[in-house]
Amino acid sequence: MNAIQYEAPGSVEDAVALLAQANGEARVLAGGTDLLVQMRAGLVRPGLIVDVKKIFDMTLIAPDDGGFRIGAATCGERIGANNSLRAAWPGVVEAAKLIGSTQIQSRATIGGNLCNASPAADSVPAIIAAGGTCTVAGPDGRRDVAAGDIATGPGQTSLGKGEMVVDIRLPARPPRSGSAYLRFIPRTEMDIAVVGAGVCLSLDEGGVCTAARVTLGAVAPKVLVVEAAADALIGTPVDETALQALAAAASAACEPIDDIRGTVEFRTKVAGVLARRAAGIALERAGSN
Amino acid sequence: MNDATAPIAGAEAIAFTVNGRPITVAAAPAKRLAAALRDDLGLTGTKVGCDAGDCGACTVLIDGAQFCSCLVPLGRIAGSEVTTVEGLEFGPLQAAFHRHGAAQCGICAPGLLIAATDLLRHTPAPTEQEVADALGGVLCRCTGYRKIVDAVLDVGGDDGGKVPSSGAAVGARTVKVDGIAKLTGEARFGADAVPTGALWLKAVRAPYPARFTVGELGPLRAAHPGLVRVLAAADLPCNAFGIYPELRDQPVLADGLARYRGEAVLALVGDRDSLALVDAGSVPVSYEPIQAVHGLDAAMAKDAPRVQADKPGNLLVEGGVVSGDADRAWADCAALAEGVFETSAVEHAYIEPEAGWARRTGDRIEIHVSTQTPYMDRDETAHVLGLAPDQVRIVPTTCGGGFGGKLDLLVQPLIARAAWLEGRPVAWVLDRPESMAASTKRHAARITARIGADDEGRLRAASVDAVFDTGAYASWGPTVAGRVPIHGCGPYRLANVRARGRAYFTNTAPAGAFRGFGVPQTAIAHEALIDDLAASLNIDRLEIRSRNALRPGDRTATGQVLGDSVGLAACLEALLPDWHAALAEAEAFNAADPRSRRGVGIGCMWYGIGNTAPSNPSTMRLALSRDGTLTLYNGAVDIGQGSSTVLAQVVADTLGVPVDRVRMVVGDTDRTDDAGKTSASRQTFISGRAAQLAGEDLTQRILRLVNAGADASLDLDGPSLTVTDGGARHRIDLTALPEDADGAVLAGAGRFDPPTTPLDADGQGTPYATYAFAAQMAVVDVDLALGMTRPVYIHAAHDVGRAINPTLTEGQIHGGIAQGLGLALMEEYLPGRTENLHDYLIPTFCDMPGITVTLIEQAEPLGPFGAKGVGEPALIPTAPAILGAIRHATGVRVTRVPALPHRLRAAIRDMERANG
Ligand SMILES: Cc1cc2nc3c(=O)[nH]c(=O)nc-3n(C[C@H](O)[C@H](O)[C@H](O)COP(=O)(O)OP(=O)(O)OC[C@H]3O[C@@H](n4cnc5c(N)ncnc54)[C@H](O)[C@@H]3O)c2cc1C
Ligand code: FES
Ligand code: FES
Repeated sequence: MNAIQYEAPGSVEDAVALLAQANGEARVLAGGTDLLVQMRAGLVRPGLIVDVKKIFDMTLIAPDDGGFRIGAATCGERIGANNSLRAAWPGVVEAAKLIGSTQIQSRATIGGNLCNASPAADSVPAIIAAGGTCTVAGPDGRRDVAAGDIATGPGQTSLGKGEMVVDIRLPARPPRSGSAYLRFIPRTEMDIAVVGAGVCLSLDEGGVCTAARVTLGAVAPKVLVVEAAADALIGTPVDETALQALAAAASAACEPIDDIRGTVEFRTKVAGVLARRAAGIALERAGSN
Repeated sequence: MNDATAPIAGAEAIAFTVNGRPITVAAAPAKRLAAALRDDLGLTGTKVGCDAGDCGACTVLIDGAQFCSCLVPLGRIAGSEVTTVEGLEFGPLQAAFHRHGAAQCGICAPGLLIAATDLLRHTPAPTEQEVADALGGVLCRCTGYRKIVDAVLDVGGDDGGKVPSSGAAVGARTVKVDGIAKLTGEARFGADAVPTGALWLKAVRAPYPARFTVGELGPLRAAHPGLVRVLAAADLPCNAFGIYPELRDQPVLADGLARYRGEAVLALVGDRDSLALVDAGSVPVSYEPIQAVHGLDAAMAKDAPRVQADKPGNLLVEGGVVSGDADRAWADCAALAEGVFETSAVEHAYIEPEAGWARRTGDRIEIHVSTQTPYMDRDETAHVLGLAPDQVRIVPTTCGGGFGGKLDLLVQPLIARAAWLEGRPVAWVLDRPESMAASTKRHAARITARIGADDEGRLRAASVDAVFDTGAYASWGPTVAGRVPIHGCGPYRLANVRARGRAYFTNTAPAGAFRGFGVPQTAIAHEALIDDLAASLNIDRLEIRSRNALRPGDRTATGQVLGDSVGLAACLEALLPDWHAALAEAEAFNAADPRSRRGVGIGCMWYGIGNTAPSNPSTMRLALSRDGTLTLYNGAVDIGQGSSTVLAQVVADTLGVPVDRVRMVVGDTDRTDDAGKTSASRQTFISGRAAQLAGEDLTQRILRLVNAGADASLDLDGPSLTVTDGGARHRIDLTALPEDADGAVLAGAGRFDPPTTPLDADGQGTPYATYAFAAQMAVVDVDLALGMTRPVYIHAAHDVGRAINPTLTEGQIHGGIAQGLGLALMEEYLPGRTENLHDYLIPTFCDMPGITVTLIEQAEPLGPFGAKGVGEPALIPTAPAILGAIRHATGVRVTRVPALPHRLRAAIRDMERANG
């Protein structure tokens, strides 16, 4: 096995150039909390590692057109400490805060969580529920991609050679809207989600739901956007009947696998329970802003 | 088991600051910081427990923020400031850890201290939740986290750690004799003191049970010039070892047949970097899968293939106890309860993977290793190498957790053989997946049990049939099969008992010793049945246990008449107020919260201290040198539970000197005597008694020198020893006395072998000299929709005879509860699937409930100052109590552990369906 080349460029352009010119497999290194573990286990063997943490722009959280622009190399701890982001998109912040222990939080990034393309990644259902988009930079310049279109399957992304995610953008929060993310793990902390559920909903002045997005993690090869579950809420006051319909729709949408963390039947059931509970929290939040 | 570890070529000079000192390391930028700190900078205070971000043992501060150093490439930290445990001053935080006994084995302490330093810097007065959050990514397998939380909440608190006055050490919360080194990073664990220039060893392991052939090794050697030797089965003079000399069925290296995934087939020896570059796929071994036997049903099937050719029916061993006539007594029972209960294989998950190094000194071999059993290591390694036992010296390193898992040979014979042949030191440190695949497990079990009672709830008869999956080799299987029938019906008066234990071979990693030797599995069964009887007879669950609890003078199922130290009734009495309060509180809680339900459960246990029936002596020696140093030559390794401290307390009070006068040589087989294994909760009782006898012997010799009476007192002040006998004072000038070969001027020795008798064909006899007893109650909340159980409170009452050190005793109980909780709720070892600490879950800070410990002291006359043991008893009642609480909350009788959420949810669903 050959030595691994390590580079830490200072700009997105330099990083893209390095990635594009690499001969063998090249990987972006953000927090390294997935990549280094996978390398240790022999699952990936890159010849080039491009460390993006030195790209200042990629570690910032900035206001953006009423919403937010979160650098892809921003760690969960930073995201958790940003009060205005938390006020606007609590679902995204609580999901990012769930990634790993304190010993991981100060490094693990939101971009890494997205690009690692694990169906169980915690921040992804929340970002998609919030309507997040990404800026992807590559040899041919920049393009916008919906956050839900980055991962294509477990460990697979739509990124081409030389491409990387620069930032994740969250829109301005519509009035009377709330978001929430819940996950289920069999231990109280530090584990991969058995199921994750993100909900984002908006109400009109009369308390009737006008828009909703419901997402599920870890129940399919990639994060699911469950339109039937959203439809169950829209046009209703998000009452017991609507919540029950949402839970049923969420369960119905699941295509999970059986593994050590849970059976198909269990994941299907939990998806409904969590989506419903997350909707309850989102509703409460929507009512209070 | 993997090789993509360290393709670390292309060194660059990387400059950063470590503990305030600017340094430059020549290394590849992709090398991990943890490895650079340990291997390049010699800062071995930073530990590596998983190399994957899961355990937090490697936590350091980087520019003031805590992070796992195993996940940081060196290139990333150029110009940064790194702080390791060696860079922390011994301040109020460390003092609090020391005072609270927060480091047991201590392998987790460096990471915890760093994490706590980070927390306290910005949150000087944290809440309990803040402590748990900040430290939550650091796993500890020993403490159950309670003492750690207590310590962090008590930084700057009163220093109660003062040395107790002469004669008052026993019963005092003295600090650990080996505690400080564990808090500074100085303690040397198995991987920490490898000599420079050592060769390293790497095992090639079978990917599945298989017949295999080794091909031509020439190309491999040519590709890796740093590879100096490849050891195969034929290179071992005697390729067999075992726990029982008459049952040496396990090869050091498999010989053409690997019976389980993870069994070693070859050992590569070479320089470390070269070995790191050897890809498992490039080693020419071809495997032909065999028809493997997995699980008890397959092992017991009529036409099952044999795991070991000479073991028909795959039966390793069978043990049993028969007393009275259970078959006749059933008819007299007003209520019968029966059931089948299954438990999973469980991994020890000590944070320190197996590690050690060996060197040859002339015609002897010296092995520095993390172990629980230096003397067995010596004898078995000598056997494998074809040497006499006295040609092998075992020098135990600090042990980063054992729990029974370091009672089997693993690294010892191979590093010894390689060092013997090469004439150079050879080291081996297992990585986490390899450790998990190769090491022993708790026996998976199936227990079929039946208990009957009269209409007042008095137990009349019980039968237990326990079968255990013992894996591919015997290991400690016979011990489990022997111990279980004795304890199988619980700590209750029972005249009619039929109990049987059998262990079957399968093609999985050998099941070995794990805290409790099968008794924790069995307790799950008998306690569930007692709950059944309580329900059908409408008797309170604590009350029915009280009615049946063994008491002094009772006869056990093996016909042994118990002495005075039987404190179960007192344990139950201690729980009573809490029990009723918790039941009332649960009722109120359930009326208010529809989402989760609260339940309360109880579990009891008894546990024979020491090995079952055969002689298991311990010998301790005590020497006084000319300068007044008192040294205990102590062959009992301290694996974190605190035996060294307890023995020092015993010796101090026996002689009447302050405890800090007692120095110690621990475990070195050249310098100590055989104290037996650190297992079976035996060291406090057996070695403690031996140490007390050694102290009495030394005292006698001193008194005889000056013709003083037996109640004279000693005062040791440097080279001057004063004996006060009534009004008379005699001064002994130690410098004037002749020295023996060890430099001692006065010495005493003590040997204790607990009085036991072998069991007859019906299991009748006195298997143990004394028993520990305990009862625990648990309160849990179950989220009904998710099947998720959260223990909220545990009250543990333990009869320990005498708590020689209450802090350490509580620490054992907390740690046992954590492991019992893991057994009940989350831990399940699946070969190939849970071979790391992110798929194999052990409890973290936030999983632990509040705990109250009540120590009951029904003195055992044979024990030192009345002490018995607590190591294993701590764990046994926890799972039954939690499972009883789940049942109280949900109505579901759990028959398979762990009660994973999906299993519990399925059971709740079935019950809901059945109830319409
Ligand atoms: C102990 C532990 C606990 C964990 N707990 C959780 C958890 O609770 N929830 C959870 O979701 N995850 C968890 N993880 C997984 C991991 O921490 C997260 O997925 C994390 O967000 C990954 O971020 P990173 O910056 O470390 O990514 P890296 O490891 O640096 O990168 C991950 C992958 O994404 C690629 N990549 C990174 N950034 C970019 C980019 N900007 N553009 C293109 N590709 C990129 C990399 O090349 C790599 O393939 C845990 C990991 C550990 C070790
Ligand atoms: S060794 Fe780094 S987290 Fe375990
Ligand atoms: S003391 Fe924490 S792992 Fe042993």
